Amino acid sequence: MTDKKEKRLSLGELAEKAKLPPRTLRFYIARGLLPGPRKAGRAAEYGAEHLKRLQQIKGMQAKGLSLAEIGRLLGEEASEIIVEQPRAWWSYPIQEDVMVWVRADVGPWRLKQVRNALKQMVAHLSEAGKKEKDGNGSK
Amino acid sequence: MVVNDDVVALAPRSAKTGKEIKLAMQELWLTGEILAVGARLVVRHTFQSAENDPLEVIYAFVLPRDAALRRFKVEGEGFSVHSELRPVEEAQKAYEKGIEEGHLSTLAKQYRDGVVNLSLGNLRPGETVRVYLEIVAGVESHDSGIRFRYPFTLAPCYHSEAKIIEVERGTGEIELPEDKFGDLILPRFVADASALHRVGFELSIVLPAGMKEIASPSHHIRTSVDDQTRARVSLATGHALPDRDLVVDVSTKTDLFGVIGGIDKDGKGHFAAIVPSGRFGQRSDQPRRVVFVLDRSGSMNGIPIQQAKRAVEACLGALTEDDSFGIVAFDDKVEVFKQSLSKGAIEDREEARQFLGKIEARGGTELAKGILEAAKLLSHDGGDILLLTDGQVFGTEEILKQARSTKLRIHCLGIGSASQDRFLTLLSRETGGTSRFLTPRERVDLAVVDLFASIGRPVASELKVKSDCMTGKTKLSPQPARAVFEGHPLVLFGETDGATADRLVIEWEHEHATQRLEVPVQVGEHEEAETVRLLHGARLITDIESRLLGDARQSAAEKRLEQRLKKRLKVLSERFGLASRAMALVAVVQREGDRAGEIPQTRVVPVGMPQDTAFVSYFDRLRKGRGLVFSTAGSRLMLAESVQMMRFRGMGSGSQMGDLLSKEDLDMLTDSASGPDDFLVGLAGRVQPDGGLPGQDNEERIVLTLVALLCFLTHGHTRSAGTFRSHVQRLIAFLERQSVMNQLETRDEMIERAIQFVKTRKPQRDDWVSAARRLMGNRDHDWSKLKTKLEENLATAEK
Repeated sequence: MTDKKEKRLSLGELAEKAKLPPRTLRFYIARGLLPGPRKAGRAAEYGAEHLKRLQQIKGMQAKGLSLAEIGRLLGEEASEIIVEQPRAWWSYPIQEDVMVWVRADVGPWRLKQVRNALKQMVAHLSEAGKKEKDGNGSK
Repeated sequence: MVVNDDVVALAPRSAKTGKEIKLAMQELWLTGEILAVGARLVVRHTFQSAENDPLEVIYAFVLPRDAALRRFKVEGEGFSVHSELRPVEEAQKAYEKGIEEGHLSTLAKQYRDGVVNLSLGNLRPGETVRVYLEIVAGVESHDSGIRFRYPFTLAPCYHSEAKIIEVERGTGEIELPEDKFGDLILPRFVADASALHRVGFELSIVLPAGMKEIASPSHHIRTSVDDQTRARVSLATGHALPDRDLVVDVSTKTDLFGVIGGIDKDGKGHFAAIVPSGRFGQRSDQPRRVVFVLDRSGSMNGIPIQQAKRAVEACLGALTEDDSFGIVAFDDKVEVFKQSLSKGAIEDREEARQFLGKIEARGGTELAKGILEAAKLLSHDGGDILLLTDGQVFGTEEILKQARSTKLRIHCLGIGSASQDRFLTLLSRETGGTSRFLTPRERVDLAVVDLFASIGRPVASELKVKSDCMTGKTKLSPQPARAVFEGHPLVLFGETDGATADRLVIEWEHEHATQRLEVPVQVGEHEEAETVRLLHGARLITDIESRLLGDARQSAAEKRLEQRLKKRLKVLSERFGLASRAMALVAVVQREGDRAGEIPQTRVVPVGMPQDTAFVSYFDRLRKGRGLVFSTAGSRLMLAESVQMMRFRGMGSGSQMGDLLSKEDLDMLTDSASGPDDFLVGLAGRVQPDGGLPGQDNEERIVLTLVALLCFLTHGHTRSAGTFRSHVQRLIAFLERQSVMNQLETRDEMIERAIQFVKTRKPQRDDWVSAARRLMGNRDHDWSKLKTKLEENLATAEK
């Protein structure tokens, strides 16, 4: 919902909001400090994430960091998200409408705890379902 | 205009790897005409994209002295468009709109310190576009010649709030605070300039005084002389690297006295008058109060600091006991020799030498602090400041403001491969002083001694210029200088209502008498009229810009003043058709196939580190850790001759009259490997307050003083001409006193003959330096033999 309401900005509008000349924004994009537009060509548009990033850059500049250093830090931040190691997960269909995911690499003692909890959960949900059914029937 | 397409066609390759390098700007070629009062230049920038996306190329450069951008032309396949002059904000909007709509857009916008960003956006893949930028610029005028300087690179400069960082090995970046410098984009500074764009030049020189010699300390040049008054100078090699200024020296047969100009299209007469200092007469011998302000920032390290220190020592040799001096050395801290001025007595000078000996180059360039400290020393009775610096600072308008507030004359000796000529010219002119700017490969010490001889003693002061017009109205602007110094001509700009036969009447005070000089001004039709008008405009614009701080942190009153200045600047820009910090140049070219909304890739054209300045002098600390570098510590200059400079170290420490020529001094003075100029500088530094050279007794002093005098004389330094003219005068005065005192055997015919010989100003070919080296090298002289030898030499010289 919020995405649809968010106003999409042209580079000029983004520059105006950030109080920076468009040339500076292009310079930041070329240096990899600011992501490029969401779409190419005439439909190019920018959003809140661009504005947030510009504020972040300004904040880091005020703390005395140079653009090269900011680029390095932002690059590291981005790489932490992108380059995260893949993980295997077990899926436990508890009910028709409930699925619980458990990481496959948890320790055996932990897995035991999780399984017990799942059993209780299954029992609890089954119990709750029955009671609801009975209740509805009595009415 | 010469278009060297052969050069353009060749792709640059890295000197180290041999790989082809994708440059956004391939070449910069300077053409134009140099006159006695300035130059009209066209700089051709060749942009070519070797990339798959549209490009936006930003080239940052610094304006030469008294310069302004006039217009530009953008040329490519099937189009040629001229720029429009518009208020900065309008021009910027037009540029951005053009970029957004996919058109080829060009903007030339000026920032503080005379730095310009030339931006060219939407250069298509594979396309070649040339921008011909027209610039008018001042020149350094001397009585009998000019020095022209054009910056092919931008010096990395110091600012206390700058972020200086080495982004990769051998590549550095400097960022300036946005609230003070706006959206200025500086280039990357590259230690190895061999892979960067190529530069070259082909210039005409027109000097009615007739040309004697054309030379360049910066580039190999080829010259062709059309006649005695017109010549062409071009780069002798195919191209050069963007790592230093172009410097061209022209000496003339006669002095530059004259008036140029004429009626321009606006119907007004525009003229520039040059009145060499020699026309004002001789300088006075009044006692001087001088403070030497020595820049010991990291970028001065190596040859410049050594030469500057030695030069100050030589200047001290030109002081008399009636003179007073002080020394201030600064980087980001200030160190003062003594808290009050010292007399030129022997003890003080020896102490000063020891103080100088300890000075090493390091740290940032807090120039204003150095000037203000010098001003404190001169606060009671005024005086002159002699500043020795590379001037590599940003935020020069703030320094100028503080310098003006001292109300003292500041004379500048600039040293550097990349020009801070604009700033140092303003600093000296705005304070009523004089300036010179040298490359590190020239002798700094000789130039400073030369400059020192003329400061503190103007040939004309309380100067007034009025028009004695017969047929029209003549208006001079800016206000003429109040004083004229030896070697530095008075340059006047003015305009008339139309064709005029006028007379400028110059009056000044000299030794308590009013002097008068008339300069006829004939203004009629002349081809140089437009150039002179533009040079006049550029000078007026530069003067106002030097007062514009542009700092967002100013008080309300300061902002109001800035607004007024900006309005004036806009009026001047419109009147003269020149860009300024109030008006920028813009051109938008609409072409078929332009695609709106596409974001061009930004490329900033890198520049080379100034020749002879080590990369580490600015971008050192990052290698030691990931921290910010706020100072220019640890600099090192890389000159082959640096070993030779070691000879200059350890200048005497003795304090007794009889021991003033120490072993080290003697080593230096008698070292035949050092050049004659080295020897003369050393000799000048040994001249005592009474004008004689030191010695065991009077007899020795007289003989050594005679030898010194003949050394100077035979190298063209007389009482009125040459770098060491002050020293020569004092040596003669000493010998004359000895003669009058009538005490010694040596005051005989030999002294008289020597004095007469000196007074005739006949430079001889005899190498008295060699003779002096031999004489001074032998401490156990047999004085009778020495006198005989001297007489023989004198007799030979007189022949």
